[in-house]
Amino acid sequence: MARRTKLRKFLRFALLATLLAAAGFTLFLDIRVRDEFEGRRFALPARIYARPLELHVGLRMPQADVLDELKLLGYRDIPRPGEPGWYLREENRLEIALRPFVFWDGAQPARSVSVAFEGGKVSMLRDAAGTDVPLARVEPLAIGGIYPAGNEDRVLVRLTEVPQHLVQALVAVEDRSFYRHAGFDVRGLARAVRSLFTDRVQGGSTITQQLVKNFFLTPERTIRRKATELVMAVLLEIHYDKNEILETYLNEIYFGQDRDRAIHGVGLAAQFYFGKDVQYLSVAESALLVAMIRGPAHYDPYKHPARTLERRNLVLRETREQGQISLEQYAAARSSPLGVTRKSGMGTSPYPAFLKLVHRQLRRDYDEKDLRSEGLRIFTTLDPRAQGAAENALTKRLAQFDKEKRFGQPGLEGAVVITDPQSGEVQAMVGGRDVRYSGYNRALDAGRPVGSLLKPAIYLTALSEPSRYTLLTPIDDGPFLWKSRGAPDWEPLNYDKKFHGMVPLRLALAHSYNAAAARLGTDLGVEKVLANVRKLGVERDVRPFASSMLGAVDMSPFEVAQMYQTIASGGFRAPLRSIREVTTQDGKPLQRYPLAIEQAFPPEPIYLLAAAMQDVVREGTGQGLKSYLPPEVAVAGKTGTTDEQRDAWFAGFSGDRLAVVWVGYDDNRAARLSGSAAALPIWGDLMSALSPEPLALARPPSIEMVSIDPQSGLRGGVSCPGAVELPFMQGSAPQERAPCSGPMDAAVEAAGEVGQAVSKGVERAKSWLERLFGR
Amino acid sequence: MRRFIYVVALFAGCASQPEQPREPGPAPAPEAQQLPAPPPERVPPPRAETTAVAGLMDSARTDTAAGRLTNAAATLERALRIEPRNARLWHELALVRFRQGDYAQAESLAARSNTLAGSDAELRSANQRLIDDARSARR
Repeated sequence: MARRTKLRKFLRFALLATLLAAAGFTLFLDIRVRDEFEGRRFALPARIYARPLELHVGLRMPQADVLDELKLLGYRDIPRPGEPGWYLREENRLEIALRPFVFWDGAQPARSVSVAFEGGKVSMLRDAAGTDVPLARVEPLAIGGIYPAGNEDRVLVRLTEVPQHLVQALVAVEDRSFYRHAGFDVRGLARAVRSLFTDRVQGGSTITQQLVKNFFLTPERTIRRKATELVMAVLLEIHYDKNEILETYLNEIYFGQDRDRAIHGVGLAAQFYFGKDVQYLSVAESALLVAMIRGPAHYDPYKHPARTLERRNLVLRETREQGQISLEQYAAARSSPLGVTRKSGMGTSPYPAFLKLVHRQLRRDYDEKDLRSEGLRIFTTLDPRAQGAAENALTKRLAQFDKEKRFGQPGLEGAVVITDPQSGEVQAMVGGRDVRYSGYNRALDAGRPVGSLLKPAIYLTALSEPSRYTLLTPIDDGPFLWKSRGAPDWEPLNYDKKFHGMVPLRLALAHSYNAAAARLGTDLGVEKVLANVRKLGVERDVRPFASSMLGAVDMSPFEVAQMYQTIASGGFRAPLRSIREVTTQDGKPLQRYPLAIEQAFPPEPIYLLAAAMQDVVREGTGQGLKSYLPPEVAVAGKTGTTDEQRDAWFAGFSGDRLAVVWVGYDDNRAARLSGSAAALPIWGDLMSALSPEPLALARPPSIEMVSIDPQSGLRGGVSCPGAVELPFMQGSAPQERAPCSGPMDAAVEAAGEVGQAVSKGVERAKSWLERLFGR
Repeated sequence: MRRFIYVVALFAGCASQPEQPREPGPAPAPEAQQLPAPPPERVPPPRAETTAVAGLMDSARTDTAAGRLTNAAATLERALRIEPRNARLWHELALVRFRQGDYAQAESLAARSNTLAGSDAELRSANQRLIDDARSARR
């Protein structure tokens, strides 16, 4: 008897304890649910955009390239009235329904423009009403993100933006009693319990349960986990209304992989699969997304179109059975194709090399955690057209070189950097021949000897002393030996193993003669030359050896671009930038990275140097570019080849682009590479694909053009065959006339001088009058 | 006559406003507001090669007048991407930087403008004055 009482007591106690424990556990779950659901903000990746394409009359961009960019942006070539994101091509015209976009400086609504092209340029730009439009900004291409753990990517949407038919299809298929149940569905639950004992795939979870599962729990299948899920689902329903639960679900749900990137939420799924914003999804498209929820890998519209189409139609049928769509809607949707866009296969980014640069520049100002969770919008300088041209040129040429084994065994690598010579904006970066590979970035991190690429610093130093050096000054290209304490003897040889005697300065650079450059550099002073290397923008330490001047210095293509930038922009150094603006997720401006320049050299010697670098291409080691670019483009550049022909370089610029190309082997082996044979063709290919603007150097007033007879190096004129116009610092040109030069030439020259004096006088009178009468 | 042309040019600019009304940008840095601004009549009238740039120049001037200097600078940089050799644009940007109190940039940008100014004596002297002002402000 006593024992029975004891047992009862114990049972009562046990029951109480269990109840208490259950209550405690529920309370714990309740706190967790509320805490996490309320405090839960989806970790949103920083979203990174390319530069927006600015359409305007006069833009140097052929129709085909504009079309390429629109296709990258997912524009379709079928008009969809009432919906942006398409274009219509009619011969040289293009009608574009631009999507709305929130730019750094404000929102721009959707608008239609009509563009005409002529001679590779935009010749007309009008709006839908036929009025001329000065400028139309196309929304920028999303080029990747900085992702939270698991590379989860999503675009948040509000429930009100989601089309009704999507929600209806979802409820019809996934959880019919969603609007009535309290978090669980008895029949579904029974099915789930049964599935625990059989081995069938479990189903019957309500939308609320699915959300709890994705949100809080691991995917194991145990009774305990199922119970926890159930309790949490009920708690969620107690605290939040159906719409809040639905909205969170729609943003959470998983829609498959894009390489290493996980697609979450209907917002991103709509963009990824259909190239449109969620509000524009059709009935059929919505049904496809709902069909995928059950198993995005199993119902992958790209890999298993037949199976997926079947399931989509099942979704449509169930939606129809629930009376949510009309018979007409059903019939139309059922007969439509899957309609997914051509898969771009972007992964975390199609341009990993450029993204690495952006990420590195961002990390100076932002926490890694904020970059991975705050949904910042980063507007960069990437020009997809330049990037495409660089990738094409590099991959095609390297494949060809490998096949021919012209420079050595297969396995050549390469890197490219393209910038805007005026602003220092980085337009393209290729880190290796596998352009989608996000590992080793040769453009940024490969330090390789630069060879003759440093020579311009020697010539710039010389031309900064116009009383001693002009473009015509004879430089001795005889055998040269340099002895200095603390460094081995240095005896540079020429590429052709010959010496060329006395050569005019500009030709010594054009032909990249080593002995001449070494003699000139040591005459000027190694320290002085290397100081100018630093002033050109090279920040890494350069050893103070004479051999450094001839390129025994390791630099990355990015650093070379920084150095050449200063030459291309008239002596103004501009730090290379990859970011323009950063805004919050909803478009509030956070930070701008403004254009910043600093005058490093006076314009005159830079002008003379750039003119000499045009001669490199006109008559020197860069002559090969003749078969890529018309002579009037008059690009300036320099080849670079290193010891035992291990590295090939070409760096140069047109009026609107600066590009640096490097080719070599990762293991730095000796090869048969040379700048003009291996790097120049890649440079030529990419530049010619970009229809570059001619390089018209801005001539400083103190520089005069003088006709020179190439035979004597004296003043020539029309009577001298092959006379060339060369720039000189005023008063530094030769005074003596060449024998071929006749009295006519002198007269023409004198007349020119009188003309100049007259125009100067007029200018002076004008400003005097202005002062007198005011403006 | 000259003044008349200037006024016409200004209105022409207004008529070709390129973009939708923009959101007010972030307020200029507090120290920028107390700085003396160069008198506007010293600024040569804008000259643009394309209507696109004319419109941007105009909206930059509106922004400058309203104290939205960050926006004005951004707009001028946008214009410079279209016409990088337009010496007047570099000058305008130098002016905005001066008003923002960034005298070093004002000086560099004015010098850059000078290298592209060709025979535009008026612009050259405006640049020179700006450089002088920037130098004395830095002292």
